[in-house]
Amino acid sequence: MSAAAAETSQHDRRVVIEDVTHQYATKGQRVTALEDINLTIEPGEFVCLAGPSGCGKTTLLQLIAGFLRPSDGRITLGGQEVRGPSAERGVVFQQPNLYPWMTVRKNVELGPKLRRVAKAEREAQAKTYLDMVGLGDFLDRRPYELSGGMQQRAQIARVLTNDPDIILMDEPFGALDALTRERLQAELLTIWRNTGKTIFFITHSVEEAIFLGSRVLVMSARPGHVVYDKPVDFLSTMDADMPVGQMRSLPAFVRMRDEVSNEIHASGG
Amino acid sequence: MSSTPTTTAAPPAGPSKAALAEQRTVDRERRARRRAAAQRYGIRIASLVVVLLLWWLVTAAGWIKPLYLPSPGAVWDAFVRANSIHPVSEGSSRLVAGEQGYYLWQHLLASLQRMAIGVGCAILLAPLLGFLMATIKPIGLIVEPYLNFLRALPPLGYIGILIVWFGIGDLSKVWLLFLAAFPPITMATINGVRSVRADRINAVKSLGGNFLDVWRYVILPSTAPDILNGIRIAIGFAWTTVVAAELNAGNPGIGYLAYISGTELQTPLTIACIIVIGIAAILLDLLVKGIENLVVPWRGKA
Repeated sequence: MSAAAAETSQHDRRVVIEDVTHQYATKGQRVTALEDINLTIEPGEFVCLAGPSGCGKTTLLQLIAGFLRPSDGRITLGGQEVRGPSAERGVVFQQPNLYPWMTVRKNVELGPKLRRVAKAEREAQAKTYLDMVGLGDFLDRRPYELSGGMQQRAQIARVLTNDPDIILMDEPFGALDALTRERLQAELLTIWRNTGKTIFFITHSVEEAIFLGSRVLVMSARPGHVVYDKPVDFLSTMDADMPVGQMRSLPAFVRMRDEVSNEIHASGG
Repeated sequence: MSSTPTTTAAPPAGPSKAALAEQRTVDRERRARRRAAAQRYGIRIASLVVVLLLWWLVTAAGWIKPLYLPSPGAVWDAFVRANSIHPVSEGSSRLVAGEQGYYLWQHLLASLQRMAIGVGCAILLAPLLGFLMATIKPIGLIVEPYLNFLRALPPLGYIGILIVWFGIGDLSKVWLLFLAAFPPITMATINGVRSVRADRINAVKSLGGNFLDVWRYVILPSTAPDILNGIRIAIGFAWTTVVAAELNAGNPGIGYLAYISGTELQTPLTIACIIVIGIAAILLDLLVKGIENLVVPWRGKA
């Protein structure tokens, strides 16, 4: 599926977050984690949300995923209110979250299996995406036999195989070593370009946000507000093969990085 | 789209050399663990040989009276005698089979049968109660104190009331084993369900799973290692209980034979019974461990 085709057929599959406030109680006190969040995620966007730890980034992701219900306001996907987890909103978790009682292949097939897709068909789908993330040779391994980076690749394949409208990623590369992280960032970018999927990606790394995102958001600390929201437009004109190190020293990249960093510090990070 | 699709070749998605090297390291570590396990068994066998030698030395030198500690040879003879037809006493022409009317293996089998029925019922029913208690709050709230109370009791403390209710025969012993095995399995199930990671449940829901899918693909397999562990504890506990429970009208029964032979001063037979009881316990444990490795190979790894 090309990116353009995805855009025309799915133009109504946008995620709209309207006046969302989220509070939770801890030790008898009410804490406001998020306040008056308004945000629209268009199909095909790669939205990166950066912010200091504890600013409510993960809370926002869990609200979109349907793991939490907002205290106030509403979240819709394609006009339908989000009332709980669903296959149209796939989640890649921070920690490797594959099922150790299944092989890598069975994990990746699980989504289609739950939808009663025929065995041959779902096996082919799973194989396609496992090949895409470079795990074609590890189909019959158990997740615990794979390295951390490979487990995260398998999680990405599992979500892609399920073909959701939006993929929610909660610092998926946070626990990986620097080299593996850079490799997976490049691969994720390639996957996004080739599939045209909508991605909502949380990170505490400003560089990661700018490198990956087509749009970068910054959230302030408690209560969380979106204090910065800009498209990343200089990368689209660059050569896609440019080495990551070289890209990170581009003036436009450095400028945006400083801007975002300042925004995070000003917001109490 | 705010980004132009790539026209040039994308970076290769296949596993790089580094990833494959990482994978080789993981495999190498597994092999090293297996070698270490083989070494441990070697040490254990060597220590067993040393213990047997010491036992033989102490008895052969005559430092301890055979009544208190018979020689390994005498124990072996008692073991063989108890498994064969032999004269009732030395020089007598009257032949008997085994001891107390049964061969030793029949005594062992009788005890194992009581275990199979009592513990078997517990294995079938305890996880059900555990799942109910862990998922339906009021049930857990009401039942848990009673379960803890039952667990705290030494089963032999209530064998008397079971005999009044179910008679002196096998039924009271089977009930005893059932009640001994039930609490550990139920508690293990409850702990298992309560420790299922929220992320695991959320993941299957985000893939489109409904209530039944959450149970089938996440809660049941997540809990299986805990239940098996509970079963292992329950079997060990029930085995110590069955041996003691057979003091009352436990013929045939390996615990009965161990006890009665002691009172008749047949110490070689008593020690043979003790060794059989211990080896049976170890084999039962190995059996459950083997089932664990087969059914829940991921246990402790993720």
